[in-house]
Amino acid sequence: MSQKNDPLISRRSFLARAAGGAAVALTAGPIGLLLGRAESGEPAVPAQDSRIVRVARPYDAETRVHEFLSWLTPNDRFFVRSHFGPPPPDQIDKAAWRLTLSGLVDHPLTLTFDDLSKFEEVSVTSVVQCSGNGRAFHRPQAPGVQWERGAVGNARWTGIRLRDLLRRAGLKPNARHLQLQGADRPVAATVPLFVRSLPIEKALHPDTILAYQMNGAPLPLLHGAPLRLITPGWMADSCVKWLTDLTVQAEEAQGYYMQTAYRYPIRPVRPGEVIAPQDLKPVEAMIVKSLIAQPQQGATLPSGNVMVQGVAWTGEGRIMKVEVSTDEGRTWEPARLVGDDVPYAWRQWQFLWQTRGSGLRTIHCRATDDRGQVQPMTSPWNPGGFLWNGADRVRVRIKEA
Amino acid sequence: MNDRRARLYSGHLFVLILAALWLAFLTTGRAQEQTTRQTADQQTQRLLAARCAVCHSTDLIQQQRLPRDRWEATVKKMVHWGAQLDATEEAMLVAYLATYFHPEAGPVVAPPAAPRSGEEPGAAPNQPGVPARGAALYKHNCLPCHGEAGRGGMGPKLARNPILSQEDRFRATVRQGRGAMPPWGDVLRPQEIVDIRAWLTTIPD
Repeated sequence: MSQKNDPLISRRSFLARAAGGAAVALTAGPIGLLLGRAESGEPAVPAQDSRIVRVARPYDAETRVHEFLSWLTPNDRFFVRSHFGPPPPDQIDKAAWRLTLSGLVDHPLTLTFDDLSKFEEVSVTSVVQCSGNGRAFHRPQAPGVQWERGAVGNARWTGIRLRDLLRRAGLKPNARHLQLQGADRPVAATVPLFVRSLPIEKALHPDTILAYQMNGAPLPLLHGAPLRLITPGWMADSCVKWLTDLTVQAEEAQGYYMQTAYRYPIRPVRPGEVIAPQDLKPVEAMIVKSLIAQPQQGATLPSGNVMVQGVAWTGEGRIMKVEVSTDEGRTWEPARLVGDDVPYAWRQWQFLWQTRGSGLRTIHCRATDDRGQVQPMTSPWNPGGFLWNGADRVRVRIKEA
Repeated sequence: MNDRRARLYSGHLFVLILAALWLAFLTTGRAQEQTTRQTADQQTQRLLAARCAVCHSTDLIQQQRLPRDRWEATVKKMVHWGAQLDATEEAMLVAYLATYFHPEAGPVVAPPAAPRSGEEPGAAPNQPGVPARGAALYKHNCLPCHGEAGRGGMGPKLARNPILSQEDRFRATVRQGRGAMPPWGDVLRPQEIVDIRAWLTTIPD
């Protein structure tokens, strides 16, 4: 298998490939500053934050879409979402931090941060996307943070295979789910903890990793330091941050964040309709989606040639096609797929648009994956406002020639 | 003929007076309604700061546009999770949210700005703190985060905390908030903050 097709490559070959590249450059500058502040106990949110803040506390913020002109999303511009905000830095200090693995295993484990280096180090470049990304576009509006387009990003994650850890502990025959819990805590003890679980098949998937690096830098506090789960191809509600406790179980995790929240109907539903619990299943894989990173919403452009650029991704498959429409979706023209086709990462695309006339125009884009999924103009409504993947749209003004 | 015209005229006059009276009645009613609404809004905004913003900033609320039944469900969930609202406060909050943050409310909703608490924010309180009043205020406003007897919880321990010896800093911190702590300037009056401090200083080690 060539490196290009293998999402998991050794650290050495990754560094060799990235030498002088963007991933290495990322360790300097703003990320270093952010980490420095986080480790000294100061607020982890940088003073100059280019993200769009949706909730000030606990901090939730999305990336400005023009950042997606870069294949890798910088750590200090990568979207941030959590239910309770990061734990106090002393609780996840690398010296004091412990990861426990218990439940239906032969040998329960307690690991220090240094113990992680006893496992093989691997990297995967993967899109991480909030399940609620695009919630603001659902009609009627669904409750929750009104994410628009930027609760998504593409980063290189480095850590160890979750599978290697589970095999070290030894799974008992009735092991079916892995429960995950982080060190983050709600303000009031009466609020349910953010406890999630993963089917054991996904936990044992060779590409599922426990990550301690993001784009070549130590995992920043806001992104789950010192360790978070990365489930390539799946929505970020599985990518638990600040991980401390793994429990192998026969059943899905109980509690609000697994049994009530982050569930999606298995059949079309109408707003207000009562949905039986058995008709809701956990949000898991991502679905095909694309974004226009350039031009920006509301831009005024000279007539003639306009370079339209963006990214496209899907869950556990590949992007086959991206199309652009400049006539409100009546006709579609293929965009050119550029850059590497790396599993779980997003694919960059370009389209040279020759404008005609002047005035307001709408650019739409839609992607198609290798399973034949095509982005619809509007996504099916669902009570949680999850999995929005309607064709992306940007309104621009073309100046008179 | 004249008689008839006069009768007709007085009839018109009567109708006109009735209409004017009705209009006056309506206007007064509306003005009263408006005042009631303003008072309720102010009370509810204090609730938002004191009961909701303990856990999350209120931008989370203001960005949503939900029908009344969804707001009811959301507030119920929050009460279930520990938001300290009694039945009356819960109803007030739902009414407020359904009025200002309903699906047709448009992208920018500007309910009346949160009121300051009567006095100027920096104004010095009139009298020394009263521990007995402070104990009750603490229980209602501070205990969920700072724990029983100021022993700490999600927020830092306050009993014997050095900040208690710096009255100005204590008042400023409570008023403006700090880190995860929301500002309480719209909820607690300067005198009340001083009362809380007075009570905290009475707690032994």
